[in-house]
Amino acid sequence: MIRTTHRVAVIIIVAVVVSMAILLPHNDEDKTKLKVFYAGSLIVLFEEIEKEFESKHPDVDVQMEGHGSIQVIRHLTDIHDEVDVLAVADHALIPDMMYPEYADWYITFATNEMVIAHTDESKYADEITPENWYEILTRPGVKFGFSNPTLDSCGYRALMVSQLAESYYNNQTIFDNVIACNFNPTFETTTHNNTSIIIMPEILKPETKKVAIRGGSVQLLALLDSGGIDYAFQYKSVAQQHGLRFVDLPPEIDLSSTEHEDTYNRVIIQLGFQRFASVGTERVGKPIFYAITISKNALHPEQAVEFVKFVISKDGQRLLQETKQPSVPPMTDNPNNLPEELRFMVMEIDE
Amino acid sequence: MKEKGNKSSTRLFPVTGMAVVCICILTVVAGCIATHPSAEPEETIDWNLTLVGNKETVLTFDEIRTMPSYTGHGGFFTTVGIVNGPFKCKGIPLEELCDLVGGIDESNTVWVSAPDGYMMVFDYDQIKGDFNTFNPENLREVPHGKLTMILEYEQDGEILPENDGRPYRIAIVGKEELLTEGSYWVKWVDKIEIRTSSNG
Repeated sequence: MIRTTHRVAVIIIVAVVVSMAILLPHNDEDKTKLKVFYAGSLIVLFEEIEKEFESKHPDVDVQMEGHGSIQVIRHLTDIHDEVDVLAVADHALIPDMMYPEYADWYITFATNEMVIAHTDESKYADEITPENWYEILTRPGVKFGFSNPTLDSCGYRALMVSQLAESYYNNQTIFDNVIACNFNPTFETTTHNNTSIIIMPEILKPETKKVAIRGGSVQLLALLDSGGIDYAFQYKSVAQQHGLRFVDLPPEIDLSSTEHEDTYNRVIIQLGFQRFASVGTERVGKPIFYAITISKNALHPEQAVEFVKFVISKDGQRLLQETKQPSVPPMTDNPNNLPEELRFMVMEIDE
Repeated sequence: MKEKGNKSSTRLFPVTGMAVVCICILTVVAGCIATHPSAEPEETIDWNLTLVGNKETVLTFDEIRTMPSYTGHGGFFTTVGIVNGPFKCKGIPLEELCDLVGGIDESNTVWVSAPDGYMMVFDYDQIKGDFNTFNPENLREVPHGKLTMILEYEQDGEILPENDGRPYRIAIVGKEELLTEGSYWVKWVDKIEIRTSSNG
């Protein structure tokens, strides 16, 4: 009798415990939440990095947020969010906006190049080449787009490509005929010491439907898909990731090569207004490098180092290749400031 | 024998009954923890909005709340395509705020800024609601009815959460539940300034 009562009591107690386990809130509080903010054009790569890193580090929950590169940094420096790792599409932003208070090193790990993306259905898709793209874009009926230079780095890089094209193709009308003539108010261009300075209007407003200006890649890709535009200035990685055709531009104008850095430096874009108080309005042409760093105030510095180590490791490089993100050997500006675990993995940038 | 059986059954019922009661209490408590919002005491919002046009005016949050409001639906998406909303947004039309300091015309731009250093500039057409709109399901561009740009202070019936720009955020709203680009939804707005466009 007593045994039966005890058995029943044990069963009931087990049932209560199981109910608690099921019904009470259950979460991943035990995992370390590593906050990683990244530039929007890295979204495909970083989704893969997140999956693989978490599978190798099951005690870490990588929490990712994608933004424009300046916004990535501002979330830490101006909005004071807790951010452990930051990855941007313009390596120069890290020293400009974060040194010395928020960081004192960066590692470059990837690059990119500007292309003219299109689909099979785009007008003159089988005719456009690296030699005639600027003429095709001006043809009646052809529509193209680029992102707003004030909101997205790909936008001001589109302007740089168009201006650099004038010297390369020895044709001083390219910027006006492709870009400027489509806007009212329009751009002003001045030249100083062999450098072209392009001054944007406050508000960039196309006069006709020939040119579409959108906030970023997401909208331009949708327009290409739907046939709303025929061509878009894009990063090569984004074009490839979305299965688009593209025109490979000469390295002298596509912002891909350190060999042509002096040439790129000869174009400056003056944005229409200062969207961020912490960053000026001037953008100088330079090769595209993606860079990563760890916040000096990182809440999880050890896990942050492991994450950066993963990004620049052979596994990380493999993922870059798989996601069509051109990689570069990891290089740093300040090897002495690097966490020790990273020092043997990178070379110093030769200034 | 029968008596012994009866005795064990008699002891069993209270034990079983107590356990059932325990399980029920635990279930209710778990449900309460999961669903009951933490009660926060109502707080006053100490935030001034500066309007600059042909004169300067500073309005408190309470003064803004007493102005005739507009309610519509709208949301936005981020650089990487993350959709926020659509929400039910209540606030004051930007055009009406501009009217308090002289009004705007096609020669003006409106500079909206926040204390975190963020600034966005809008032209006359945008103040009148001229934006591209997108389908929340697939981010494809879609046509839209009348849109109104408002200084939002209430979202889905509640004061704006801190992360969404409390107490004020720019919102672009209409009757349909459509999205606009996130860069226009300036958070923590503290100043709206009318300027003459430098481009004529």
